Amino acid sequence: MVPSPFPLHRNCAACYRPPMRTLRLASFGVQGSIGDGLTPDIVIDFAAAFGTFLERAPVLVGRDTRQSSRMLHSAVLSGLMSTGCNVIDLGVCPTPMLQFCVPEHGAAGAISISGGHSPMGINAIQLIGGRGAYIEPVVGETVLDIYHARDFSYAPWNQIGKVSRLQDFSRTYFDRLAALLDVDAIRKAAFTVVIDPVNGAGSPYIRPFAECLGLRLIPVNDVASGHVARDPEPRPRNARQVAALMQHIPADIGMISSSDMGRLSVVSEIGETASEEYTLPIIANHVLAKRTGVVVTNCCTTRTVDEVAKRHRATVVKARVGQAFISSALADENGVLGGEGNGSVALPEFNRGFDAFLMMGLILEAMAVRRATASALIADLPRYHIVKQQVAGETHRGYRALERMAESTEWREDGTLSNLDGLRVDWPDGWLHLRASQTAPIVRIISEAETIPVAEARALTAARLLEHLL
Amino acid sequence: MKDYLKVGISGVRGIAGETFTPQLASAFARAFGSYGGRGSVLVGRDTRASGEMFEHAVIAGLQSTGCQPILAGIVPTPTLLFLTRQLAARGGIAITASHNPAPWNALKFIDDTGLFLSLARAGEFYDVYHQGEFKLVPENEIPGATVLADPMAGHIATILNYVDTDAIRRAHVRVAVDCCNGVGALHTRPFLEKLGCEVFTCGDRITGDFERDPEPAPENLATLSALVRDHRCAIGFAQDPDGDRLALVNEDGVPIGEDLTVAFAVRQVLDHHVRGPVVVHLSTSRCVRAVAEARGVAVHLSRIGEINVTEKILAIGAAVGGEGNGGIIVPAIHPCRDSFAGMAIVLELLATTKKSVSALRAETPSYFMVKDKLTIRSEAAVGILRAIRRRYEKEELTLIDGVHVDFGDRWLHVRMSNTEPVLRLTAEAPDEARARALVNDVRAEIAKM
Repeated sequence: MVPSPFPLHRNCAACYRPPMRTLRLASFGVQGSIGDGLTPDIVIDFAAAFGTFLERAPVLVGRDTRQSSRMLHSAVLSGLMSTGCNVIDLGVCPTPMLQFCVPEHGAAGAISISGGHSPMGINAIQLIGGRGAYIEPVVGETVLDIYHARDFSYAPWNQIGKVSRLQDFSRTYFDRLAALLDVDAIRKAAFTVVIDPVNGAGSPYIRPFAECLGLRLIPVNDVASGHVARDPEPRPRNARQVAALMQHIPADIGMISSSDMGRLSVVSEIGETASEEYTLPIIANHVLAKRTGVVVTNCCTTRTVDEVAKRHRATVVKARVGQAFISSALADENGVLGGEGNGSVALPEFNRGFDAFLMMGLILEAMAVRRATASALIADLPRYHIVKQQVAGETHRGYRALERMAESTEWREDGTLSNLDGLRVDWPDGWLHLRASQTAPIVRIISEAETIPVAEARALTAARLLEHLL
Repeated sequence: MKDYLKVGISGVRGIAGETFTPQLASAFARAFGSYGGRGSVLVGRDTRASGEMFEHAVIAGLQSTGCQPILAGIVPTPTLLFLTRQLAARGGIAITASHNPAPWNALKFIDDTGLFLSLARAGEFYDVYHQGEFKLVPENEIPGATVLADPMAGHIATILNYVDTDAIRRAHVRVAVDCCNGVGALHTRPFLEKLGCEVFTCGDRITGDFERDPEPAPENLATLSALVRDHRCAIGFAQDPDGDRLALVNEDGVPIGEDLTVAFAVRQVLDHHVRGPVVVHLSTSRCVRAVAEARGVAVHLSRIGEINVTEKILAIGAAVGGEGNGGIIVPAIHPCRDSFAGMAIVLELLATTKKSVSALRAETPSYFMVKDKLTIRSEAAVGILRAIRRRYEKEELTLIDGVHVDFGDRWLHVRMSNTEPVLRLTAEAPDEARARALVNDVRAEIAKM
């Protein structure tokens, strides 16, 4: 948790760590803690529910390197096979690469097994639809219904699914990525790059990536061992190791990802650990200059995205929080680019999934084409200041408290209110977002403004009122 | 019965995708991991279409309890039992429904001594399953699965070390084998070639299905008989899908009956290896007893079920034993039914006696066995068994497993099956008429009720 600049006693973010829920079933898949809520039985059931939904069509399966991912992988295979789905197994595979392969191989869908950005001990299986995006939330509801009714359509003994192993899938992926990027420019720039894939699914693939773009690679935490070497959320406090390394070994840029290669944050050549909020605007600033259109983001991402879009005459569409909602809105709006403030970007023209290899490629392309350093790319963005806070409270109370806060106007003065996902207030110089967490009994507060004191003051006001209401 | 699931001393058995699902397999594996405690667990399977699916479910279940799965892949059940002991594993899970038809599959549980769970241990284990509170280990204690590189090596070496390999090799036996599209399709030819045999095979493709009824009973061995005749083989071997049972076909292509496998093995072990008591189960042919008694050793009878025979063998220190269905057990190799040990010992018998299969058959006293069964509810069976017991109370009765009646040169055994909802009626006499008369007598008794 981020150390709070203003302690709030029992809700002090620095000293309070809320217990994670042990199991969460949602339309996107299942997330839970290992040794507790997320058992192989539940995962077999969930895979069998997805297999039942897919009616014996072929399914891709990939996993990250975590120790429990091997177990969940076996559980997923048996569940899918039991419903007559043939499985094309990719083994250790970053989630975006798996998403890329779904349309490439004409699969009906995929299951990704990855702890993603969650700490060690939490793992998840994600359902991916036929076009490589997270399955649409409404479709996921159908799978959940099958799961709850245990209405599995098991294949008869002689039609049980078979497993085949897909080799070399990364070659097509990198070929296509190279075709998308200005590889000549990147190669000519001969960048030295530090990449830290947190010993996750990206580990075996950062070398081919570096070769593809002619990078001099300095790998960190690139052993596919399952050992989660640091908090896998790509954000400044988790980029310290990379930043420290770059003090001694000069590099043009450092990049850290989550276990599944779905999120990325950047360390500049001068060792500045940029907020994960800047990954999307850096890329938007580059991509929209070439081709403008609709950008999709969620309702609690930095306003920098809006400013960058305005700069390039692009439209911003706000969706609910989560990759599934962003992907869905990207498809609805025929968007050029999408992403979230947690360090994720998707470019539907290339891949419907949030893709850290794509993010790295686009950032390097921006540096090469614009002849700009990483710090210059960051400096080119309008800067706001974000404060993230949390208040402890059971989720059901959280929702009620948010309703009450929506009714009251005194704390938000002239701000305009929206309730697409949680509660968002927009002022001319900033915004504040309140949302009951889906994974822990807390309400998250994100406040952004032109100055830190304003952002903090607004967060404090909201937190005090919430504390009172919870 | 279509929707049938059987949980008992023979493991957990059902029809894949109907009564037996990966969820169930995973839950039993979790229970097994919780029951046995942390350690390595051997996992192997036969060639059934559902095998890989159940294997994955078992792997996941074991890992969740902190048990490391050691994957032997497609191996004979006797090899898996052997490996469990050899590798000093915590236990093993064999994914095989043995001689049941292809739609069936089962989990069979092996303890840390390399034997199937005994009745008492099976009881404890099922209690753990039913209580449903399975051990779960945290992320950093979840083990990976290990794949065994050459799972057959130790088992095969032990067999080759036991028999007179040189004598067998010198004999250059022409052998036909029906592998039943089972584990033998992978392992039998290399094994027999090590023994210097010229090998002809059928049922040697792995398809997930079986070309013949998987019981190696005489009526199912037409293809093997033709193979023996076409290639002028000295002997034909018929295995079941998981390679624990063995039936023999003579040089004219005639099946000689599964009981003769045991009779031959008993003869060879007693004559050539070690003299000592013999254990067979209650429904085994009297020809085995004749062979043993001719050599001056006692025959002990056990309950039906491999583990019961094994336990008796170990308890009395028997030299050899087996089940009349073609499951020979040589404790010096490993105390379980083993078609590979069976093939080696029968080949050794041919090589050392220099006699043909039909000549050896002729030297073994002949009996006629009638096997009948009645589909029945278990509560009805209880009454029937009591009635039969009263009917024959003046005869020599053995009551350890159903009712076994000994009439001197004939016997009758009536019992409830461990694997199916049927009452098995078995009788044996020197000729068919007297054997049938015994079964008809029982059927008449049942009809009266």
